[in-house]
Amino acid sequence: MKAIKDFAFQCGAKLSLNSEFILNKNGRYFLVNKNLRGYIQKDFYYVGTYLGKVKKRKFFPSFNLLAILARGDANKIVVDKRAAWLFICGRDIFRRGILTVRGSLKKSDHTLVINEFGECLGFGKIACRLDEKAKKTEVAVKNISDVGDFLRREA
Amino acid sequence: MSGKEFFVNRYEQLSWKFEDAKPRQAIRINTTNAKGKNLEERLQTSGVQLDKVPFLETGYWVRNSKVTVGATAEYLLGLYSIQEAASQIPATLFTDFKDKTVLDACAAPGGKTVQLADLMSNTGALVALDVKKQRLVALVNHLERCQVTNAVVYNLDARQASRLKLKFDRILLDVPCSGNFAADGYWFERRTLADVERNAKLQREMLAEAAACLRSDGEIVYSTCSLEPEENEVNIDWAIKHLNLQVEEVDCYGQKGLTKVFGSQLDGSVACCRRIWPAETQGFFVCKLKKLVSKR
Repeated sequence: MKAIKDFAFQCGAKLSLNSEFILNKNGRYFLVNKNLRGYIQKDFYYVGTYLGKVKKRKFFPSFNLLAILARGDANKIVVDKRAAWLFICGRDIFRRGILTVRGSLKKSDHTLVINEFGECLGFGKIACRLDEKAKKTEVAVKNISDVGDFLRREA
Repeated sequence: MSGKEFFVNRYEQLSWKFEDAKPRQAIRINTTNAKGKNLEERLQTSGVQLDKVPFLETGYWVRNSKVTVGATAEYLLGLYSIQEAASQIPATLFTDFKDKTVLDACAAPGGKTVQLADLMSNTGALVALDVKKQRLVALVNHLERCQVTNAVVYNLDARQASRLKLKFDRILLDVPCSGNFAADGYWFERRTLADVERNAKLQREMLAEAAACLRSDGEIVYSTCSLEPEENEVNIDWAIKHLNLQVEEVDCYGQKGLTKVFGSQLDGSVACCRRIWPAETQGFFVCKLKKLVSKR
């Protein structure tokens, strides 16, 4: 639970989680609703909304968690179509691809990457202050995780 | 008892003249996720041209595409799934879903599981089982990608579903089967009648377990992508006679189920099943069953 809250904090978001509805199975965290609770037995493999996993003390958020954070007040950059496509191919975001910035502009903070339709594509680490005049070709946000991972996982 | 000639001869005995078929690629829109997102327009802008599948509400054939439909942002965000047209039929045959307890007994790789969750609007509970642990990886990736929130997954054989000590309102039994030549280019070289019979036995065991886990007013939808009657009409005939189940009328694409198979007469209600010979879709069989309520 702490790992999830810490991650949300790194993204500039506050997350209130009711521990009653969070399950931890071998370091993998799931959010379940009241309805589902009666169907969960101890040997379940997956349940409800997958939030992410802790591996070697590091938290890896799921895309569902990123989507939840994106609905709130987390740091976000909205990117253009080309930058969105390159991002889901695993590439970083250049300054010229960013349309708007919400929340932190600070180097090293985490930010969610949002497409022009308001959908969360993943997250990255701010590589240079986003309000400074930077070269348009300079990497502004380093890709940490993007939805293209669904394809890479099965490759 | 194998080979193309052997099987083609069997199909002729079932009144179907063999023709080579190439099923069209199809997608299914995940309505819960795609609501208000102009998905068709977005795909068209990306160079994906779609044709509506006439017998499906949310199914489209891919007429032409400049991009890989399994690698668009819209796909990765779970707005649609790639799902063969005939295989989109079974989940649509249940009467209603809201707040129901649903079992997907042979769930991996998860295309129909996601469809069930979408039809349930993520309400109720969807229990998904698969016996092969390595196949669960694809299943849960599918659930995460499509933002399914009402599912619980177990690594469990469908024949042991009663271990969960749950009763279900709806059971999808998309059983492991011999497949068909339209979905597998080497099908005729790989399959023998012994495979078909072995699968048919496994399927009967799954049907029996599903019947045992079904609530008294519950529904089972049984489906295969096999063309072999032993895995389809003959098994349903067996279920009617041994499991206190009755076949329900369904209004969907496909021909009536066969009631005469290689000289054997089956129960007349088996005609209510639907058999799809390969053409634009792959070969498929689907049937809806209900528990027989005893009259006093």
